[in-house]
Amino acid sequence: MPWDLIIFYMLAAVCIAAALGVVVATNPVHSAIFLVLCFFNVAGVFVMMGAEFLAVIQVIVYTGAILVLLLFVLMLVNPDDLPEFHQGKPVQRVVGGLLGLILLLEIAIAILNREVVGVTGTATPEAIAAVGGNTQAIGRLLFSDYLLAFEVVSLVLTVGVIGAIVLALPERLGEKVVQRKGTISLGHARGVDMEALGEGTPEGEAPILSGRGGFAKASGGRKLVMTNDPDEYTGA
Amino acid sequence: MGELGVEHFLSLSAALFIIGMMGVLIRRNILIIFMCVELMLTAANISLIAFGWQMHSLDGQVFVLFTIAIAAAEAAVGLAIILALSRRVHTVDVAEIHELRD
Repeated sequence: MPWDLIIFYMLAAVCIAAALGVVVATNPVHSAIFLVLCFFNVAGVFVMMGAEFLAVIQVIVYTGAILVLLLFVLMLVNPDDLPEFHQGKPVQRVVGGLLGLILLLEIAIAILNREVVGVTGTATPEAIAAVGGNTQAIGRLLFSDYLLAFEVVSLVLTVGVIGAIVLALPERLGEKVVQRKGTISLGHARGVDMEALGEGTPEGEAPILSGRGGFAKASGGRKLVMTNDPDEYTGA
Repeated sequence: MGELGVEHFLSLSAALFIIGMMGVLIRRNILIIFMCVELMLTAANISLIAFGWQMHSLDGQVFVLFTIAIAAAEAAVGLAIILALSRRVHTVDVAEIHELRD
């Protein structure tokens, strides 16, 4: 077995295992780390196909920039908002697996029955070596045939970054989040709703109304406790 | 099986794409779904480079360069949307997100 084949199989095996890890990991941070591992191996596969420049770009852009951004968002999202490890319903899982198998079958048939159509290009390894390497060859192509596309992509990146900033801004700039002072009940740790406090206020329960001119008197002769946070009130 | 051919790379690409697709279908955390979309994009990149490698053409590599640039813009916008979403509806579970308005 030739060496390049052995190296390819090693890279592909780690790559597929890491991709499976992304899907099945319970912790999203672990998924992100698995994605980094997968992308490093994909960069290795790029090198095997003679795309050294793109291998470096893959590492810098994907594992460097995008994954760091992803981890930042992962940290900024409140952990209480993250769903527990509940994958989809069993039906959803079965349908997903079935669709995956069907697609795998179709692609396998397509790969095996494929016939090469078209003219072989001029970028043979010798021709690439003649202009100085992979990076030089891509640069020559990028700034001659694909110049307009290159400029349009830079415009798209600018628009994307502006859009990201606008989307991620808080609702109103310069407005501080006003913390609500506690409206706690002396009877219940988590407060009582106002509708329930009609004529017959239960013994020992009273709302504390802040900012409406004074506080309600505590009924039942219980002590009135003022806290900022309902959790501070522990029945003192 | 003896020679390293384009079929090897295409098979790897297909495997990665299908794993990513199944991740999108079965997971409910929007961040995991986002990672799986990146996985599918990378699988497409492998296919492009493999065909270019077979046909001795550099156009495939230039396309991949553009794809990576667009993926970076997509990541920035997508993550900003996830951030705004988690701030507004306090969840990243796609099963819970079913309203476009407040």
